[in-house]
Amino acid sequence: MRHRLRDPVTGLLFVLPVLVLFLIFRIFPTLGAAGMSLTNWNIGGEWDVVGADNYVRLWNDPNFWASLRVTLVYAAIFVPLTVLVSLGTALLLNAVIFMRGLFRSMLFLPYVTSFVFAGIIWRWIYEFDGLLNGLLTKIDLGPIQVLESSSLVLPALAVVSCWKGFGYSMLILLAGLKAIPGSYMEAARVDGASAWQRFRSITLPLLKPALFFVLVIETISSFQVFDTIYVMTGGGPAKASYTLIYGIYERGFRFFEFGYAATWGMVLFAIVLAISLIQRRFLGRGNT
Amino acid sequence: MTLTATRPAATTARTMTRPRRPRGKWWLFALLALMSLLTVAPFVAMIIVALSPRGKPTVPVQWPESLTLDNITQVLSASGFAQWTLNSLIYSAVSVVIILITASMAGYAFAKKRFPGRDAMLWTFLATMMVPFQATLIPVFVLISNLNGVDTFWGLIVPTLANSQAVFLMRQFILGLPDELFDAAKVDGASELRVYWTIVVPLTKPIMATLGVFVFLWHWNDFLWPLVLSQSDATRTLTVGLTILRTEELQWSMVMSSAAISAVPCLLVFFLLQRYLVNSIAMTGLK
Repeated sequence: MRHRLRDPVTGLLFVLPVLVLFLIFRIFPTLGAAGMSLTNWNIGGEWDVVGADNYVRLWNDPNFWASLRVTLVYAAIFVPLTVLVSLGTALLLNAVIFMRGLFRSMLFLPYVTSFVFAGIIWRWIYEFDGLLNGLLTKIDLGPIQVLESSSLVLPALAVVSCWKGFGYSMLILLAGLKAIPGSYMEAARVDGASAWQRFRSITLPLLKPALFFVLVIETISSFQVFDTIYVMTGGGPAKASYTLIYGIYERGFRFFEFGYAATWGMVLFAIVLAISLIQRRFLGRGNT
Repeated sequence: MTLTATRPAATTARTMTRPRRPRGKWWLFALLALMSLLTVAPFVAMIIVALSPRGKPTVPVQWPESLTLDNITQVLSASGFAQWTLNSLIYSAVSVVIILITASMAGYAFAKKRFPGRDAMLWTFLATMMVPFQATLIPVFVLISNLNGVDTFWGLIVPTLANSQAVFLMRQFILGLPDELFDAAKVDGASELRVYWTIVVPLTKPIMATLGVFVFLWHWNDFLWPLVLSQSDATRTLTVGLTILRTEELQWSMVMSSAAISAVPCLLVFFLLQRYLVNSIAMTGLK
């Protein structure tokens, strides 16, 4: 009896450290971002409420529209690439038994490194006299200026992020594949279904939840790309890789327009929120 | 007994897929081998360049006539590098310890306690997961800067401790522990702290280990927050330091050496704990 009375207090006490951290560093700044986006806060800490001025400025800011376009194009390249590579390698890992553990480790290896690390290595690979051009020249195709070309830079960056990150999605999909009962495949095989038919009418429908989860997290991560761009291109050439986050960083920490940078942040928030809500609608709560 | 919540699903999945999986065709094997080689090739090339004598790396990368550790030792003794490494270690290790303690405490309370506002709090935590850190970067920076936390360790570490994923993971795991354990301890008159220390901590060791590894990797590899917050070598982390190295007049053999050294802890964690990492992602969807 005694402990039941004490429960509310101890429960609150145990949650208290996390609660305080959350209030100060997650909830308050989220509200703060919305508030700041209505001010002209700058480096000196001086600010006035300017209402919707920042949003009007954003609407008329060619830099913003360009960066939104860059971000969407990047996502349109990165997401299909990563989902296809993850699905392909997961299917291969599921089909091949010999040395499977070794292959899985090799494919997952880049995931544990940082995007900065990936950016540095791949900058060297993409360099004018780097590894890629060395190989291309050998087969008389090169050299090409990958990071200096405004049409090649986004695909090149997408390849780097895919190399670094697809291992995670691959493991999620592999777990999904393993959960498909072998008896279904067996029955389909007995009925004479071809490999493609088995994939289309058994694997794909049963893998849908995992596939959708992967699609959503990779889409969100494509909107958050920053490290590789900072290391490899600095937003260039000619702003061809100037993404939303790069815009937030530059507004805030190069021009020190904190209010206006917060406005850019609100756009990012709105996009990620929309994707998360769609995810929740399809997957239900508790599947985070 | 403690793991029964997760075990049945895993075993049934295994026994169901096991009967007569067809052996892979040779071309599937070849394709998989090719994919794996492609993911590992940049690492191999990096290590070769790092161990080659100074000078322009031959392209495509060739095995050098002689291997040398000169680049590695020179990077290690270069100004700043040792300090950045130490800073990264502090940033990661302190965060791991504090997050594990606070998240397991909160996870225990959320899973096994009733208190006013519990569900509303949980719901709010869940909602904050949808707010990308970059969207709140500016207000958090202004806040820390007003508290004079720029270029200090506490300013670097404290904002990263509000980790909702850690709290949720702990809660999910502790929910699966039988209530009888906690009731019995209370009947015996154990204090709450004692229950936490002698029941919650030992029984959550598996999930703590997994979470600890992930938090370490997240912090070791973190970039944007250290970039804006650390402004001198005193707090600069290795990821930020590497981008400074890049801009100086440096040979690629040196850059590759420093990149290779920066990845050592991650690769070590990976090789020692890969089964753990891989299984935990498959089971929990931990990112």
